[in-house]
Amino acid sequence: MYVDLIEKAFWAGVIGFGFAVLFNVPYRLLVAIFLTSFLAGLAKFGTLILGYNMIFAALAAASVVGFISIPISRYKFTSPFVVSIPSVIGMIPGYFGYKTLLGIMQIAMSKDSTNEVNTILSITQNAVNMFFILASLAIGVSLPWLLLRKKGIEKIKFSQSDDLL
Amino acid sequence: MRSSNKLTDEMAELLLKISSMLMTSGANTNRILLIMNKFTILMHVDAQLFINHKAFIISLTDKRNGDKTTIVKRLPPHVVNFSTISSLSEAGVKAQNENWKFKKLKAEIDKIEKESRHSQFIVLTSVALAGGGLDIVFGGGYYGFLAVCIGTFFGLFVKQFLHKKEFNVYLGTFMGTLVSSAIVAAIMQFFFPGINPDIAIATSVLFSVPGVPLINSFIDFMDGYFITGMVRFVHGLLFVISIAASLFIVMYLFHIQSL
Repeated sequence: MYVDLIEKAFWAGVIGFGFAVLFNVPYRLLVAIFLTSFLAGLAKFGTLILGYNMIFAALAAASVVGFISIPISRYKFTSPFVVSIPSVIGMIPGYFGYKTLLGIMQIAMSKDSTNEVNTILSITQNAVNMFFILASLAIGVSLPWLLLRKKGIEKIKFSQSDDLL
Repeated sequence: MRSSNKLTDEMAELLLKISSMLMTSGANTNRILLIMNKFTILMHVDAQLFINHKAFIISLTDKRNGDKTTIVKRLPPHVVNFSTISSLSEAGVKAQNENWKFKKLKAEIDKIEKESRHSQFIVLTSVALAGGGLDIVFGGGYYGFLAVCIGTFFGLFVKQFLHKKEFNVYLGTFMGTLVSSAIVAAIMQFFFPGINPDIAIATSVLFSVPGVPLINSFIDFMDGYFITGMVRFVHGLLFVISIAASLFIVMYLFHIQSL
């Protein structure tokens, strides 16, 4: 079980590294992104082994990434966003996204729609999963920012008189 | 509204350039505003900014002499580039700490704009390994890993080639994922016929999944920027539709019932 967990976490690290190169992250940050992705993999697959569902696992992994990316970004003089996004990109629910659309295409091509109840259920389940996993990743990555900033819901002001937008 | 002061116009243009570089490189709205905030403080200006996926509007007031200017800029195509975001973020901090003058700041931004990307071979190899890694993580095994590495390598190559030729981005994604999934389906069917190809085919297209726009859309929603968030979500959804269309064709050609 632990070997399987470590193996998957290692590949999660490779995924983070690969996407970081695709997104043109500077070389000096690549090892840090491999490590954050590895830890995110440990958190995600560890949570799944403990019996929690995919959405909670995504939230746990993204939260780990969110908190680790703050000290790394300070140490490496970069934005936390540059470290955290490639580390969670392998968890983006693209699979659920195109499964949803393939289901919709199947209904469009179907000659007898009365047999498509299971397809509709599958579309709904995949779409809901996609939505909640994306929301979990966004919340997890932004969690340190949401919890630790000085003024709660802080408004960024460019102008002294009015809010920006 | 045009200002009589050339410097105010130049500052507005530089700020628009910075914000458009951030937007097209994949920064979320809050990150753009945070980084811009550092530069406006440094330049001693008040800025009002309207952010859109395709164009930015900036209205600038110089605090020292009261000059005002408003400029609109259309954005170039979006290509995720975190090196630009990292460099701009670093430049913002350095400029504030060392109190850079406008000329030095402008020279630094020009330098960041010209920064090169990683070599194509390194990108293709790294993303191929990442694609193979996704296959392992999804439980596709090492035969699938091999097929996905090869498929992703060539699929991404086609996508990048079409991007360089300035094809429509969604069409480029469709062609890239069509090539990658067809290669994987062919390898699995001809060389490893006893192994279920579903996971390998499903993971062969993940290099094109629009992770940055989708995650940025939700981060924008949480920060209250609903319009930019919605635009990013629809942009991401169109990529997913392109991927689904290519998978649909490959499933039809190789007689695969479901993924």
